Amino acid sequence: MPTPRKIPLTIISGFLGSGKTSLLNHLLTQADGRRITAMVNDFGALNIDAELIAEKHGNQIALTNGCVCCSIGDDLMRTFIEVMQQDPLPEHIIIEASGVAEPTRIAGFASVDPQMRLDGIVTLVDASAHHLHSKDPHLADNYAKQIAAAHLLVISKTDLADAETLATLRDELRVAYPQVPLAEATHGHMPIDAVLGLNADAPHDLPSGPPSGPMDHNFVQWAGHLSPVPRHEVIKRLETLRPHVLRAKGILTDCDGAYVIHYAAGRVEIEPFDGDASGHFVLIGTPALPDNEALAQLF
Amino acid sequence: MSIIYQAKSIRTMNPHLPHATHIAVRDGHILAVGTKDDMDGWQAAWGPLELNTDFATRSLLPGFIEGHSHMMEGMFWDYHYVGFYDREGPDGTVWPGLKSIDEVVAKLKEIQANRKDKDAPLLAWGFDPIYFTDRRMNDADLDSVSTDCAVIVLHASLHILNANNFVMEAADVKGADNSEFIRRDENGKPTGEFLGQLGFYMAMRTTGINLLAIASSPETLVNFANVARQTGVTTATDLVNPMPEGSEKPMRETIDADDFPMRLVVAFQGNSKEPDEAVARMQELQESNSDKLRFSLIKMVADGSIQGFSARLKWPHYYNGAENGLWYIEPERLGEYLKAYTKAGMQVHVHTNGDECTEVALDKIEEALRAHPWPDHRHTLQHCQMATRAHFKRMKSLGVGVNLFSNHLYYWGDAHINITMGPERAARLDDAGGALAEGVPLAIHSDAPVTALAPLFTAWCAVNRRSSGGVTLGNGTQNISVEEALYAITMGAAYSLKMENEVGSLETGKRADIAILAEDPIDVGAEGLKDISVIGTMLGGIVHLNQGRD
Repeated sequence: MPTPRKIPLTIISGFLGSGKTSLLNHLLTQADGRRITAMVNDFGALNIDAELIAEKHGNQIALTNGCVCCSIGDDLMRTFIEVMQQDPLPEHIIIEASGVAEPTRIAGFASVDPQMRLDGIVTLVDASAHHLHSKDPHLADNYAKQIAAAHLLVISKTDLADAETLATLRDELRVAYPQVPLAEATHGHMPIDAVLGLNADAPHDLPSGPPSGPMDHNFVQWAGHLSPVPRHEVIKRLETLRPHVLRAKGILTDCDGAYVIHYAAGRVEIEPFDGDASGHFVLIGTPALPDNEALAQLF
Repeated sequence: MSIIYQAKSIRTMNPHLPHATHIAVRDGHILAVGTKDDMDGWQAAWGPLELNTDFATRSLLPGFIEGHSHMMEGMFWDYHYVGFYDREGPDGTVWPGLKSIDEVVAKLKEIQANRKDKDAPLLAWGFDPIYFTDRRMNDADLDSVSTDCAVIVLHASLHILNANNFVMEAADVKGADNSEFIRRDENGKPTGEFLGQLGFYMAMRTTGINLLAIASSPETLVNFANVARQTGVTTATDLVNPMPEGSEKPMRETIDADDFPMRLVVAFQGNSKEPDEAVARMQELQESNSDKLRFSLIKMVADGSIQGFSARLKWPHYYNGAENGLWYIEPERLGEYLKAYTKAGMQVHVHTNGDECTEVALDKIEEALRAHPWPDHRHTLQHCQMATRAHFKRMKSLGVGVNLFSNHLYYWGDAHINITMGPERAARLDDAGGALAEGVPLAIHSDAPVTALAPLFTAWCAVNRRSSGGVTLGNGTQNISVEEALYAITMGAAYSLKMENEVGSLETGKRADIAILAEDPIDVGAEGLKDISVIGTMLGGIVHLNQGRD
């Protein structure tokens, strides 16, 4: 019997006011049939359109797109218990952590739950207030822990910071966390595939077809068909793009057979694939990636 | 109908008449206190008073008030007690204390051998490892009880839980990066010990036992009241309850029943909703107030615990070098809530353990009071264990009260000296003497079920400041007198709950809520306080006796 797929848990962490709710909002609009359950601090801040609400029950709101929002109300354990009683179970859980939460603590729930696994910790760094948050007399240590715990760092509110501040922050984070992918976003606009699935192991997560919809100017997506190519070669090519790639996935083939390659949170995972390799390869990154032509050339 | 109760001594906590021998009770209230002669004067206008001598050899005090407990105390009595000390259940059954890990394991084996459904989860509670210093309980201990069913042992602190491998396999324990909360041996293998909420969560997810539902059930409430009653308590608090919509109705039905032996003050979980909604919900809850049930407090939790290294401390933080603790709410959000509640005229009790947290809470209370001045707000800091004299001075200026966690001195005093605080700072732990010296209204508490609920024991802790290892914390300036400690568990706590006009002292017009003791605590003195036998209580004139006490 195959092991049932565990529900991935994504933790959105960051200082109070760093844009966690905006990001979550934006992710929910891209659910596209995926049953996402969002655990939030405050429904009000989510600003859900009345016409999108299918049903309201206690501290849960079911949306017409199949997603569910749960208010945490300072009781994380109770909320997790309630979420894991949903029928059907969610396909993905996203939690909007409080501004002082230690994301690794929240991740602990996934590590003792038979049906859950940690997908990733995404920490938002507010470009306009980083200089204050990192020196806050009571919260600086906590803030540093949130950043250190991240599998994906996102500089948020870039529109509110001047170019020099932004460049300094970017450098600071790259030097301190060279292995952690670094993205930038305004108003929470991030493609869902750049945020969810940081650890995903299931090939059916692979976005099919060409890039869907316009990407925000902070992100680029490239898709192509690769002829048979050795796994180490793909890894080598990805390495050359390293700081600028957020995620990459492909079902490819080489002389040992078909394989799935998955790159997220700075790590490469490769698994044999049972079936015909399509050669399909998708890459999401920051605008610093080479242009499409150059990418096509590289791959 | 009026009854005069004759006692060996009555300690009233009323400064105008601190000591008496007779108390007249009528319609649930105190008609008179004094001598037999004093009683006689009332008969002309109020009719004959019947003399009752049942307590003629006893000592009467105002019913004790536990200002910081949780009704969760009542939830475990359907499971198996494996604590160090003998403990009396709500039905009067005495569960014998177990004096070693081997005794605990042997007891669990005996339970497993004798029970019918051997596959059902086996849940035990009250395990107190502070008395077992040679080794920690591990998965092999619990595997020896059974490998075919879940075996779970909750620690007395409720912060830790042990599980056998049946549970760990069911939970598919994973994630080396969370080792902080999953204790591991030198090879990285989990030892079966889980910290914080994780253990509880895992127990629920693998056994299907809904501890949350049990925690808020009427049975739990009744058990809680009976456990508290046996220690002389007539008013207790459930000091944080999210009170989901509709939950007040069954709660009130349970509590208003004549045989429910206690008054309960429920503190609404202040950040379970956004500030505006929370204020509205609190107003709604207050419509359910009765003589025995009160929704009068808001509880906010701002940091964690010292022994769990999650309290927020000022530099240099923890003695053993552990990194600083956790905020449970953003200070900014705490400020928003305090403003909203202060504006609405709602009293807030703020949980602060570390001194950094205490300072931030005072900052936020001050901001709220500047925005919405309120002379008798009586906001109170709960636990507030590491407050300095400077903090107490500031609390006095701001009109903030304190309810100190005096039981900590006994249970974790040694750990605070040697591990968390170091000797200098441990001296000021739960500084009741300091609070009184600076003029801060004082109550003291057990935080049951975190430590055992027994106000006389809590008083003993504040008076003697002695750890379980036999060490005295501080240099004497932090101790309070027996009289001050008795005041703290009666009038002091009543004041912190804004109930000082109703309960907390024995004087004409107040509710007939009385603790009936075998001996007079003033006569017994500091050493013997905790060992005084509680004969029973009177609640609104109705007597509730403990079984088999003399």
